[in-house]
Amino acid sequence: MPLYLFPLIGCIFIAFVIGSNDTSNAFGICIGCGMIKFKKALCLFGPFVLVGMLLQGDKVMKTVGNDLLNVNISILGISLAVSALLIAVSNLKTLPVSSHQVIVGSLTGSGIASGVEVNMLSAAKIAVSWVVSPLGALLFAVLIFKVMEKTLSRLPVFHVEMVLRILLVLTGILISYTTGANELATVLGGAVYSGLLSPVHASVGGAFLVFLGAFFLSSRVIETVGKGITTLDPYSGFAAQFGGAACVLVFTSLGMPVSTTYCIIGGVFGVGMLKGMETVRLDLIRKMALSWVLTPFLAFALCFGITIVLMK
Amino acid sequence: MFLEKLLSPGKKEQVVIEGLKKHMKLLCSAIEVFQKALTENNKALMDDVKQSERDGDVIRREVISKIYEGAFLPYLRPNLCKLTEIIDNVFDLLKDAAYLYQTLRPVSTIQYQIDQIASLNLQMCQMLLMSFEALMGGGDLREKALAIRIYEKKIDDIKFDLLADLRSIPIDDFWEGKILSDFVSRLTSVSDVIEDASDYLQVINVSLR
Repeated sequence: MPLYLFPLIGCIFIAFVIGSNDTSNAFGICIGCGMIKFKKALCLFGPFVLVGMLLQGDKVMKTVGNDLLNVNISILGISLAVSALLIAVSNLKTLPVSSHQVIVGSLTGSGIASGVEVNMLSAAKIAVSWVVSPLGALLFAVLIFKVMEKTLSRLPVFHVEMVLRILLVLTGILISYTTGANELATVLGGAVYSGLLSPVHASVGGAFLVFLGAFFLSSRVIETVGKGITTLDPYSGFAAQFGGAACVLVFTSLGMPVSTTYCIIGGVFGVGMLKGMETVRLDLIRKMALSWVLTPFLAFALCFGITIVLMK
Repeated sequence: MFLEKLLSPGKKEQVVIEGLKKHMKLLCSAIEVFQKALTENNKALMDDVKQSERDGDVIRREVISKIYEGAFLPYLRPNLCKLTEIIDNVFDLLKDAAYLYQTLRPVSTIQYQIDQIASLNLQMCQMLLMSFEALMGGGDLREKALAIRIYEKKIDDIKFDLLADLRSIPIDDFWEGKILSDFVSRLTSVSDVIEDASDYLQVINVSLR
């Protein structure tokens, strides 16, 4: 079996999973509210993932595939195979893991075990961005909520409703864009910088796979997320979601691979704090925080161990 | 111009808003006809009230079906459904009162109080319609809600006097007494339900803020 097939299969799998899982981040609320149909949402999601990847994907791809370490095919093969496995297991066990953390942890573990120089400054920057991004999303969400209170709340209720509908769709589009520019770029960064794929092939092929994942597998996730979220009020839901998306966009511009899901959780936490801490499910937050800390270390350790074993 | 178009409700939402407005206007006219029938002692006119209740049912079904088709965000939907259900409850009370009045022997000793309650019911309903229009236009609902509560208090005061007076009315048989008691009960309950509708308008007003 040719060596390049391992990373390729890993890329295909993870891109497919991003499509199936992350469409709900973008359009879960809109579909759950019945504002747009699933197929219409896909028609917005797919193209904007591609646009995000084409316009801003290069920054995150460079950070993951070039700045962090010089990725080669064998490192990429092991890292993406382990990442795919971890993501598949976490999906089966319904554990919340960030694909960014899995991929970056895997690449670093495999790279160190292979004796490739890992840029610790770049690794530190990525780690800091993982800490700062949910906090930034929290602040963004709080700020957006306050601005909405001063402006949107003064409109008649049916106008507020109409504005929220428009804003929720725009947020969905923004999240689709950052899914391409950040999530997909993180997956394909190694493949592009190791010479396995050209940037254009990676962008078009990756976006297509995300679209396929969304088309075949996302409807059930959306149904769950949509129904779960829409029981919350759309007003705070929007502030949290938009705060998260805006934060991911800022970090994407800086070339930092950060998780949209964790940023949205940061936003939800921020809005929850404004509405009173009793509205925040601290047990869920603790579970998320534990996964957030453990995931990169687990991916690192697994890849480090497997690479050492394979090298012997 | 662009902003106005952007903010204007969609087709389904428009149907719901227009439906609710039509529902309330119809209620106002039904209460007005009811009042006229009482003051003129025109029992045939009560048939129009019963017909209004049936027309109100059609509007309620249309509003609810549009909401179920996806009009408005889910957060608003139950409150809007509840509002139209409450208005429908007023129609039901009015229809029952109209039917009971048609079978009732006129009682002159309580006629004045009954006319007063019917008149206050009409004023409450008109105020409810104004509240709904204020809700759509972003106006202040508090003063209108307060006015509705004041009307309701007045009706309550009249009701207690009326109940005291009812005891002194000679009754020939059980059914005559029951019909009179039921009629008064339905008539005085109209204001309670209109007050509930007013409260729901307030809930809708704050639900997205």
